[in-house]
Amino acid sequence: MAYARNLEILRINVMEDEQKIVIGDRVLRREDLFQGEERARRERAKLPFEEKIEILVHLQRLAYGWGRKRDVIIWEI
Amino acid sequence: MKNAIRVMNELKEKGLIKDYAIGGAIAALRWTEPFFTQDLDVFIILEEEADERGFIVLSPIYEYLKERGHVWKGHWIMMEGIPVDIFPADPLEKEAVAEAEEIEYEGVKTKVLTPEYLIALFLRAGRDKDWRKIQMLLEQCEIDSERLQRILSQYGLCEKFRDFEDKRYGR
Repeated sequence: MAYARNLEILRINVMEDEQKIVIGDRVLRREDLFQGEERARRERAKLPFEEKIEILVHLQRLAYGWGRKRDVIIWEI
Repeated sequence: MKNAIRVMNELKEKGLIKDYAIGGAIAALRWTEPFFTQDLDVFIILEEEADERGFIVLSPIYEYLKERGHVWKGHWIMMEGIPVDIFPADPLEKEAVAEAEEIEYEGVKTKVLTPEYLIALFLRAGRDKDWRKIQMLLEQCEIDSERLQRILSQYGLCEKFRDFEDKRYGR
């Protein structure tokens, strides 16, 4: 019983791995999307420090306004 | 933030502290993608370690800041619109401050802890949010593995790092 269930989970995982996603003329796998996201994160890590602090202040504004976290202090930079 | 850094530099120039460096989330953010945080953590090395009773005395620093209009808000001291937490450095933090990278923020000089020391400090703190930052540092910036290993073994953090790797990466 457990074996059959595990086999089914494996089958679904393999299907998900093989699932193709079409964006315009590009055909991607889920894995490609995840790798792309990881690449983008490493790129963002290379932004100048000053730019990152500006983004942080935007995040603080977002938390205060949209997130309604009224105890968030928005930095004066 | 530039003005808060200027205030810290002023403390150093006035001889109230020997040295300082930015740590915590803001230091991590120097090396990773931007993420939300609230405060600026600063590790300081004092001119005098402790008084005759063995107490670490921060009063002259806070008096100086208060005189210049920097007020308390909860556990933070507000420096030019930035909530700052000031920590007197322990041995690991002192080494981290000494080895911190000198940078310029909008033309103002400051020091930021390097990823290897940040990993050690986050590992020691060991909260969920600290582990997330370790993961970001490991995945998004270059780590000097030998340096990290040296710090971890010197400060007895190897076991904690193995535990982190086991739980986060299933190694």
